[in-house]
Amino acid sequence: MSRSILRSLLVLGFLPGLHGAPSTTAPISFNRDIRPIMSDTCFHCHGFDATTREAGMRLDLPEEALKPTKNGLRPIVPGRPVESEIILRIMDKDDPMPPETMHKALTPEQKELFRRWVAEGAVYEPHWAYTPLVQPAVPGVSDVTHPIDAFIRSRLGEKGFTPSAEAEKTRLLRRLSLDLTGLPPTPAETAAFLADHSPDAYGRQVDRLLTSPHHGERMAVWWLDIARFSDTVGFHGDQNQRIFPYRDYVIRAFNANKRFDQFTVEQLAGDLLPNPTIEQRVATGYNRLNLMTREGGAQPAEYLAKYGADRVRAVSAAWFGSTFGCAECHDHKFDPIKARDFYELQAFFADVKQWGVYSDYDYTRNPELKGFTNEFPFPPEIEVESPYLASRHAQLQTELLAEIETLRRPASVADDAARYAAWVAEQRAYVARTPGGWEPARATAAELRKKGQPLADRKPSVAPDGTLDTDGPLAFQESLRVTLRPDGGQVSAIRAEVTLAAPSGAASEAKWRWPLAPLHLTVHVQSTAGAERTVAVAFADASAKQPRYQSGVELHGITEGWRLPEPTRAETLTGVWLLAEPLTLNADESLVLTIRGGELPPVRLATTRFGATEPLEVAAPKVLRALAADERGPTDEAVLRETWRLSTRSDPQALTRYHRVAAGLRATRGGKAMTMVTEAAPPLTVRLLPRGNWQDETGPVVTPATPSFLPGRRESTPEKRLTRLDLAHWITGPDNPITARAVMNRLWAMYFGVGLSAVVDDLGSQGELPSHPELLDWLAAEFRGGGWDLRRMIRLIVTSATYRQSSDYRTELREADPANRLLAAQSPRRLEAEFVRDNALFIAGMLDLRDIGGPSAKPYQPAGYYAALQFPDRDYVNSGADAQWRRGVYTHWQRTFLHPMLANFDAPARDECAAQRSLSNTPQQALTLLNDPTFVEAARQFAARVIADGGTDDARLRHAFRIALARASKPAEVDSLQAFLATQRATYRAAPAEAEKLLRQGISPPATGDLLELAAWTSVARVLLNSQEVITRY
Amino acid sequence: MNPFDAHRHALSVNRRTFLTQSAYGLGGLALALMSERRAAAGASGSTGAPSRLPPGWSGALREAHLPVKAKRVIFLCMAGGPSQFETFDWKPKLKELDGQVFPDSFTKGQQLAQLQNTVLKARGAFTTFRKYGQAGIEVSDLFPQIASVADDLCVIRSMQTEQINHDTAHAFMNTGSIIKGRPSMGSWLLYGLGAETQELPGFIVLNSQGKYGLQPISARQWSSGVLPGRFQGIQFQSRGDAVHYVGSPEGVCQSMQRQVIDEVRRMNGLLAEETRDPEIATRIAQYEMAFKMQSSVPELTDFRSEPQSVLDLYGVKEPGDGSFASNCILARRLAERGVRMIQLYHRAWDHHTDLEPGMRAGAREVDQGTAALIKDLKQRGMLDDTLILWGGEFGRTPMGQGTGRDHHILGFSVFLAGGGVKAGTVYGSTDELGYRALENPVNVHDLHATMLALLGIDHHRLNTKFQGLDVRLTGVAGKVVRGIMA
Repeated sequence: MSRSILRSLLVLGFLPGLHGAPSTTAPISFNRDIRPIMSDTCFHCHGFDATTREAGMRLDLPEEALKPTKNGLRPIVPGRPVESEIILRIMDKDDPMPPETMHKALTPEQKELFRRWVAEGAVYEPHWAYTPLVQPAVPGVSDVTHPIDAFIRSRLGEKGFTPSAEAEKTRLLRRLSLDLTGLPPTPAETAAFLADHSPDAYGRQVDRLLTSPHHGERMAVWWLDIARFSDTVGFHGDQNQRIFPYRDYVIRAFNANKRFDQFTVEQLAGDLLPNPTIEQRVATGYNRLNLMTREGGAQPAEYLAKYGADRVRAVSAAWFGSTFGCAECHDHKFDPIKARDFYELQAFFADVKQWGVYSDYDYTRNPELKGFTNEFPFPPEIEVESPYLASRHAQLQTELLAEIETLRRPASVADDAARYAAWVAEQRAYVARTPGGWEPARATAAELRKKGQPLADRKPSVAPDGTLDTDGPLAFQESLRVTLRPDGGQVSAIRAEVTLAAPSGAASEAKWRWPLAPLHLTVHVQSTAGAERTVAVAFADASAKQPRYQSGVELHGITEGWRLPEPTRAETLTGVWLLAEPLTLNADESLVLTIRGGELPPVRLATTRFGATEPLEVAAPKVLRALAADERGPTDEAVLRETWRLSTRSDPQALTRYHRVAAGLRATRGGKAMTMVTEAAPPLTVRLLPRGNWQDETGPVVTPATPSFLPGRRESTPEKRLTRLDLAHWITGPDNPITARAVMNRLWAMYFGVGLSAVVDDLGSQGELPSHPELLDWLAAEFRGGGWDLRRMIRLIVTSATYRQSSDYRTELREADPANRLLAAQSPRRLEAEFVRDNALFIAGMLDLRDIGGPSAKPYQPAGYYAALQFPDRDYVNSGADAQWRRGVYTHWQRTFLHPMLANFDAPARDECAAQRSLSNTPQQALTLLNDPTFVEAARQFAARVIADGGTDDARLRHAFRIALARASKPAEVDSLQAFLATQRATYRAAPAEAEKLLRQGISPPATGDLLELAAWTSVARVLLNSQEVITRY
Repeated sequence: MNPFDAHRHALSVNRRTFLTQSAYGLGGLALALMSERRAAAGASGSTGAPSRLPPGWSGALREAHLPVKAKRVIFLCMAGGPSQFETFDWKPKLKELDGQVFPDSFTKGQQLAQLQNTVLKARGAFTTFRKYGQAGIEVSDLFPQIASVADDLCVIRSMQTEQINHDTAHAFMNTGSIIKGRPSMGSWLLYGLGAETQELPGFIVLNSQGKYGLQPISARQWSSGVLPGRFQGIQFQSRGDAVHYVGSPEGVCQSMQRQVIDEVRRMNGLLAEETRDPEIATRIAQYEMAFKMQSSVPELTDFRSEPQSVLDLYGVKEPGDGSFASNCILARRLAERGVRMIQLYHRAWDHHTDLEPGMRAGAREVDQGTAALIKDLKQRGMLDDTLILWGGEFGRTPMGQGTGRDHHILGFSVFLAGGGVKAGTVYGSTDELGYRALENPVNVHDLHATMLALLGIDHHRLNTKFQGLDVRLTGVAGKVVRGIMA
């Protein structure tokens, strides 16, 4: 179509489609009406990225769009659509813009919007999210005092809609309770609220819930998605990382209502604060939550580039609500984010101590990680107190002391006393002939074996002092086997002394290749007839050892192998294996000690008949002293009685109990835990990588600077390189408008389901202009200006009438506002994965709320789910009753194989910052609620709870509703369930074995009472736990 | 009953009406709806056009962009990266050079994995090759069964990828990106086309493992990423229930489970009367689907209906034993039931050491099952509309590494078979030592673009909005490779 014809048609308004366009009188807004279309259809070729710009035409900046291009075309002539090239081209059927190859055809309505915008003067507006933040005035709306309501009502008024009435009290409290704590109200809480008719009844509930320790747990779910918190590293072997104290920090921060600016500074740069506290260092675990690898063959430089990019995406998403991701390879097409911004932001984190590949492989040496295997953790880490572990430690410590007291108690009956006296007399003689209480092993046979068969050609040498030398490393499946017959056939412990030579200078001359394979010692009893049985070891420990790990957890002692430390001088190290029970050999029996391990330094073995509480306490001087004393005081007696019971089978139960408590105590690790932190190192050089290619070193070196498109930019200078702390201060400073907007927008989504700008993870031009831009700015300014007080903002939101509205469906709104963006009602919302679990367990009375914080727990998980995980192989072991029913926020988060229940209910893998979860509705969710053992067990316990409360069926059902839904039941509901209960009773009476099977699920104590009745009620409970209302907050 | 007869509604519900009806007042869903609508608009190129849905399509795409040649995909993923030199890329020159220093001119400045900083020596194939079929395709002796269907194959000898480590290479092969959260190919197909079954998940993943060369895989390889969760691949387990939680609890038989679901429906119906929350209808429909799955999954995995001749064809001794061959039968059963994407991982191919026993074992594990699947589909008339892809996340070096080969990305082999594929051809080639794809290189984006094209999809037009971007399987790249299309 020729230009002149096109122009005349335009002038006359004859172009097809234009007449169907909406004709409103409201002026066109660039941000609301034009920018989204331009961003989607024009900016790719006429926007920010100079490398893809066509025809020299740039439309995102008014000064560019209004001036003639190099071809003399005038893209936009304000007020004159017919002279504007962009209008002519979008109308041109033969050569349209955008070109057909883009698959981005404009609708007639969009074309008309463009035409009108130009006709009205082509007024540009800066992108809303990047403009300085100024608090708008609250609109005056009669009878409205709450600022949020004023903004919402004012829009509703314009549209002619009325708000919904306040939700019923019961429903309101359940909503509030679930929103603020992730837990439903108890029947008592609901009753108290219903009985409270004071004007501030609701406000009091808000305060109660905001100060509940469970509020922090609820908020943590929100933040941990953003921080991408997880228990595993994500790449390849997806090994465990030690980081749970960071989660404790987050929960504590929300419970203490830590200022959000401080929360930000501590996570990004807590280590750079003057004299940082432990808590501030724990917070810097944030910078370590990027995915990491230990894959053999991975190139450090490539992965350092990946980690750097990961942090940029995460930080920009968390604090800017922006997507820097594309700028890794090129200037952003739709936003003013330049590739340089990407790398300048990355440069802030160039000092984070890390390794590209967390191991010490032949092809890429990391001396600091020497000896690291796939079982090892991911340094740097620090040791911190864990309140959860500390409380258990204290409790077990008390129990252990009590057990020791039991061991030390005087002999109670005469028979016992006589045995004790005889034992003491015997041991005095034993020590007299066995100085130090240890008998050197006098081997009756010493040989090398492979797969249990003696090697004919190699034998260990035995020195006069009993030292054994294998003279050459033990190969795979080879072992050193020593047979002996200890004094009196009595054994309680085994000792191995390993003599290490001083290091011998040049590496080539070194005899041993450190680190050596761990030394394993196993104990057997062999009879002359050839029968062999294994003897259990309670615990083993050594005077010195290299730490060993299993899936990132440090192993205690040397029970599972002794990795010798590389010596700095000649020395002898001692390892002691304490038998689970003292052993007395029959006359035809011998003791067999088998040692496995690669290179084995000379080793000297000994045995003793003395037991002890700890391996290294065996035959301790205090025992020898007490035995040697001619006059024994009360302390000596206590020591000897304890040793007697640990060395003989005089009280096997006390012995077993002691070892069980001792093992439990060790597992609490002194109440301490390791956690990954940020440690500052000399910054790596950061280059702008052309097309994101880590092998391309042609790009310029960049230094830290804040994003160029945001106000108050700060840049490094040759004298002063900006740090993470500078970044954190700029983020929380008065110049930055976007963080407060991003956080308030996400917060809003938590209470209304949708952000004021719906695309909460992209406040850029491809996102959405907020439904209520003034309200978002008002909230953001209030947040930033009011001391970054998150709890105050939450209180403001949940006390608004807008929040308190009923969520009932209103037909008249359906057409006008299908997505409920005007907020003339609340929106029902399915609970998030963790709270689906918490809620069911809470209803069942099983949810474990004893502790806030602590290590991750492992709920039941289908067997074999980790079968495709390797390096190391993983075996998922469910937590026991002490941690099985903890809240979902504590669930072990395996990035590559997220717990199926969490995954089915849309929890993110947390590979990347996840600002909003999708809320799908799938058959997998139904299957989970119906069949996951957690929910079946919860149904049984819920049923037991209802039965225990007594009363008629009718009363019990009504009570069940109050527990499960925090409301009274309706007659139709009770009638229906009563009929259902009758069928279930009949069914299980006819098949009692089935009832027993149903009630066996889970590790709860076995059911008692009338099992058929319990099974029938379990069916009822399953119905309730599967109902839509239970998993939805209305 | 009242107009909110949720049950009836649920039974008649299809995805479109569900989306329209659940728009109201449901934050997350409303959002999902908007993005889907936008994506659908973007996907079809125009809104309001009359629907020209090809048979079996029920997804976001409103029309086929290209002739539909294949309806479903079976991806036989040889996890770990099998050697092309012992499968499909015969290099006599390399064999001549065996054990000698690998020419520096090939490798200078190139990215290597574990062979970094080592002396590079050529490793010739330990196998011999022969030509098979009318097409005379060279296949290694390790794969006699696959060789016997040579005339059904289109071997690509010029594949290239960008990622040299397992984790990221798998991500790239499955999602076209190494950024986490990008949807996998199967999720894209399910999103774009829907599934032809209502009783099974539309995207199913099966796993097996070999004796040598195991490497981990990750659920993100079948994740729906930024697409809604219902498009994600469902992993069938080799132990316990095939699908997580698909078995009723012990002590609950099928009829009792039905009673529970019926009562849940009644409770939900009462709730719907009061709140009129349209999400309830969807929930009821999902419970119905769940119940159907509870019976259709056991039926699916019950091999008793398979005659002995079929078991023999696949070389399956114990059906359902979790072997690759058994999974191949399952794949055919899934294909018959209308599943859109079926992915079989066989973890067995990372032969840094023990290349020879490893390749022999791997070949024994997959050769017969693969060939049988092709033959079986063909005799049932299903090969024509089933697209099969066989290959690893990358290949192996022509240089040796101890007794094995290292990872290699500049040239490796995969094959396609079935719907719309030019059968009995070899496409592309590598240089004389097999180091780099020379003629007609095909990168992963090209492979994806071509596979989508065979399914009737223009890869530019299957997209979704995420964080302001049009996310696609092929990113901003990919070109359709005509030479492998019939």
